[in-house]
Amino acid sequence: MINCLILNFAFYFFGLILQGIPSDSDSLKLKKDHLDLADTLILDKRNDFIKQSLFTNSSDSTLLEMALETLAFSEYLGYQKGALMANERLGLIYQYRFSNPYIALDYYLQALSISESNPAVREFKWGIQGNIGTIYYEQEEYEKGLEIFKEVASNSRKLELTAILNIGNIYGSLQKNDSAIFYFEKALEYEQIKSNPVQLANLYSNLSLIYVQSNQLENALETAERSLALVDSLEIDFVKPTAYANSAMAFLENGDLNKAEQMALMSLEYSQKQENLFIQKSAWGTLADIYEARGKYKESLDAYKNFATLKDSLTNQNRRVEVSRKQMAFDFEKERAQARVDIERQKLVRNFTLGLAILIGLILLIGGYLYKRRRDSLAKIKDAEFKTLVSETELKALRSQMNPHFIFNSLNSIGDYILKNDSDSAQDYLSKFGKLIRIVLENSGQEEITLREDVEFLELYLQIESKRQPHRFSYSIRFAENIDLDAILVPPMLLQPFIENAIWHAFPENGERGRIEISFEVKGENLLCIVEDNGIGRAKSSNSIGKKSMGVAITENRIKILNEKSGTQGSLQIIDKTLDSGTKVEIMLPLHLAY
Amino acid sequence: MDITIAIVEDEQHCTDRILAFLKPYSEKINTICFSSVDDAKDGLEQIHPDIVFLDVMIGGKTGFDLLSQLSFSDFCLIFTTSYEQYALDAFRFSAIDYLLKPIDREDFEKAIEKAFDQIGQRQLKERIDVLLSHLSQTPTTKKISLPSKDGFIFLAIEDILRCEADINYTHIFTLDGKKHTVSKTLKYFEGLLSDFGFFRIHNSHLINLKCVNGYSKSGYVTLINNLVLEISVRRKEAFSKAIGGFLQS
Repeated sequence: MINCLILNFAFYFFGLILQGIPSDSDSLKLKKDHLDLADTLILDKRNDFIKQSLFTNSSDSTLLEMALETLAFSEYLGYQKGALMANERLGLIYQYRFSNPYIALDYYLQALSISESNPAVREFKWGIQGNIGTIYYEQEEYEKGLEIFKEVASNSRKLELTAILNIGNIYGSLQKNDSAIFYFEKALEYEQIKSNPVQLANLYSNLSLIYVQSNQLENALETAERSLALVDSLEIDFVKPTAYANSAMAFLENGDLNKAEQMALMSLEYSQKQENLFIQKSAWGTLADIYEARGKYKESLDAYKNFATLKDSLTNQNRRVEVSRKQMAFDFEKERAQARVDIERQKLVRNFTLGLAILIGLILLIGGYLYKRRRDSLAKIKDAEFKTLVSETELKALRSQMNPHFIFNSLNSIGDYILKNDSDSAQDYLSKFGKLIRIVLENSGQEEITLREDVEFLELYLQIESKRQPHRFSYSIRFAENIDLDAILVPPMLLQPFIENAIWHAFPENGERGRIEISFEVKGENLLCIVEDNGIGRAKSSNSIGKKSMGVAITENRIKILNEKSGTQGSLQIIDKTLDSGTKVEIMLPLHLAY
Repeated sequence: MDITIAIVEDEQHCTDRILAFLKPYSEKINTICFSSVDDAKDGLEQIHPDIVFLDVMIGGKTGFDLLSQLSFSDFCLIFTTSYEQYALDAFRFSAIDYLLKPIDREDFEKAIEKAFDQIGQRQLKERIDVLLSHLSQTPTTKKISLPSKDGFIFLAIEDILRCEADINYTHIFTLDGKKHTVSKTLKYFEGLLSDFGFFRIHNSHLINLKCVNGYSKSGYVTLINNLVLEISVRRKEAFSKAIGGFLQS
């Protein structure tokens, strides 16, 4: 035998509905302009009609057109079930009528996607899956087919039988005859199959082929005849080519060559009428075997040539299908990859943009903060500098006020001296005062001088004044042991006004010889300067009636501003010694060291 | 031998006052007075006095004009001035004596006694050069005259590395490693030299900022002879400011 043919025809995944379907298509006509929702019923009927016609009269060329129209109407109405069914019908038409599994798969996938995105029509999913399974089966991708059918069988009771039948087919194709027979016989036990002659005929036909394969020739003959009986009596055109081809094989194997040839020719005739190349090819192959067995070698060769030609063209077609399928898969994968890349890129861009925005925001925020802080601190520094400048200016002004004040008082002293003395000693006195004024001018230009410089000035001043009034007062300047004259800095001429007050106002003329005691002492962080006299006290002195000495007022202000400027607690206290007589002035200055 | 004393002074009462102060010495001195620079120039050239009292402002001219015209300088010079602050510093740099008007009797006596002592050792020419260089507007190498036991020492200010206090004396160290001791306080030199890039870093140290090699924030300064000196706590801030400003200029 040159050809071992396998002709297991796939089991369709739709049982036929034999009642309620109009026998002609005229009554199902619809006009697009007049569509309304009630027409969904008609769309359902159209779908049923298409299926019916496909299996009873598969060469009807108007079916494709009708199915396309139904799909268009359904989509126009948004009728999901109608669209799903129409897609499925189109898939069936392409699969069985035009032997084009590629386009068929397209339609099935359309239908599948409708069913998956729409819970209302989800139940149809398994039927479509089943159809896709049959395509895998026809494309000899048995593993995939098996997987789908098993899934369908376990998920849909309605389609369990059909799935089992197909599983049987696949095992048959895989030459696992025992498994195939097991599943087919199991299928025969179902009630459903008894009411479905098409399926039953198909089942017998396929079973006979498996029996042939497993060399159970009697069983083969018997089942072949059962399938023929059903096909012939019920005029099931659709199954005829297969049934004839399979029974031809059974007759051939049983040696009934006449019957075999007759069957093969009939199979050829029907398959040509239905333009089914698969079956034509098988019929030719069977014929070649039959002719060979009969010794008609020329006919056998011709048949074989036809067989070979068809096989080639089918293989090509298959290959094309394969290529297309792979192309499709590839395109799909590519698109998905592209989409994934796009999404990734968009995500990346979005993340990047977001990150950048956050970064810029942060930078702006930090920059703003730093700028503000810097501006504030600059403003603060400027403010502080300005305040310092103001207080320095004020202090300088006050120091400068001391100059004329001192000079006028000096002129008083000089005048007083000249009245009492000769002109020579007046000259000497004048030159001493000149020296003193020079020192005052020099010191008053400086913010701070050493305590030694200030004391030298005070000493000269006291010397000169005591020379003017030799018996009026005596004086002493004392330093505590912790006084370093060269290291301690003091504002110039802070004590002079108080000494001057004592000299001019504390001691009455012709009174007892007074005493002025000046002392310096470091107390903690402060320098304590004391000017003390044993005079008549402020209350009795002529100066104190209602007005303060100019020099004292200036000094008070100077201490106040010094405190403001450096945040210190310098103080001035003028104490009237009521028990003793006299006045005590205490000036407390923050200790300021030069080195 | 009588000592000749010249008084160059355009105000009569000032001349009178000096003459009055000189009265106690009348036995051993001759005095001669001039009231203008031109008169004085000719007169001084003729008599070659031993001591000159010279006013800074004489009419429209100055005593410095007179000094620069004199062909001789072997005399003892004492300036008299009222309040020319710019001149005072120059006098101090050149160690030339001066009296401030109105002249104090005690100051005058000190000055004239010193002048009598110094008639033998004058070096006045050099001191006048120092004086004039300090008064000149054109930049020259400024010097300082330091009185010592045997006359005067003249140092270029830029050659001074540092000064160190030793109670009422000051040791002056020069770049060539020499040490000169002068009987003046460090404060005196601080006053003179702070305009020449010197800074008091410590109670007893005055340094030339040009000779600073480096300093640490912890309060030490290294001089170019690798001597490390302490900066006192209260001077640190002022020192960084001063050295910063010094490096910029």
